[in-house]
Amino acid sequence: MSAREVIADVLLTLAACTVLASSVGILVMRNVYQKLHYVTPAAIVAPLLTGLAILVQSGFTENSAETWLALAFVMTGGPFLSHATIRAARIRETGRGADE
Amino acid sequence: MTGFLIAAIAMLAAVLPCGIVAVRGSLMAAVVAYQAVSAIIVIVLVLLAEGFRRPGEFELPVLLAVLLFGSGLVFVRFLERWL
Repeated sequence: MSAREVIADVLLTLAACTVLASSVGILVMRNVYQKLHYVTPAAIVAPLLTGLAILVQSGFTENSAETWLALAFVMTGGPFLSHATIRAARIRETGRGADE
Repeated sequence: MTGFLIAAIAMLAAVLPCGIVAVRGSLMAAVVAYQAVSAIIVIVLVLLAEGFRRPGEFELPVLLAVLLFGSGLVFVRFLERWL
């Protein structure tokens, strides 16, 4: 087993642990706002670790470029979706947004 | 079995708690679970494509990531206004 494979496996393990912990957090937290905090690690940290693992394993190839493209969409879209979800939850609770 | 496939299986197991929230939680909690699942599934598809060494399958997570972002925003907007 080469050093490259060991580093990739360590990164993948961290990514899988992050996703598992996030999903447990989503399950056990009580309200929407608390649950939403646990989406962020699954949507930002885990894709970053996975992308790094593939980059370490494959190097700069077409596959790793497509991987980073997909994961970049997830990482940049996550905060926007979280913000929109919090806004929707607040409007459903209070009938108005934070800026009104 | 490579590390990529093992990681994909572990991440698929993480979908189960989110599924429980989606089925048993409130409407907004289900949306949060849906967002988490969508992010996880994109990662799983990338891992499967790398694990099985099929370059053609790397296009699927790219498309899915774009579509899930757009659909998620539309879905949340509907929940905010009408549902």
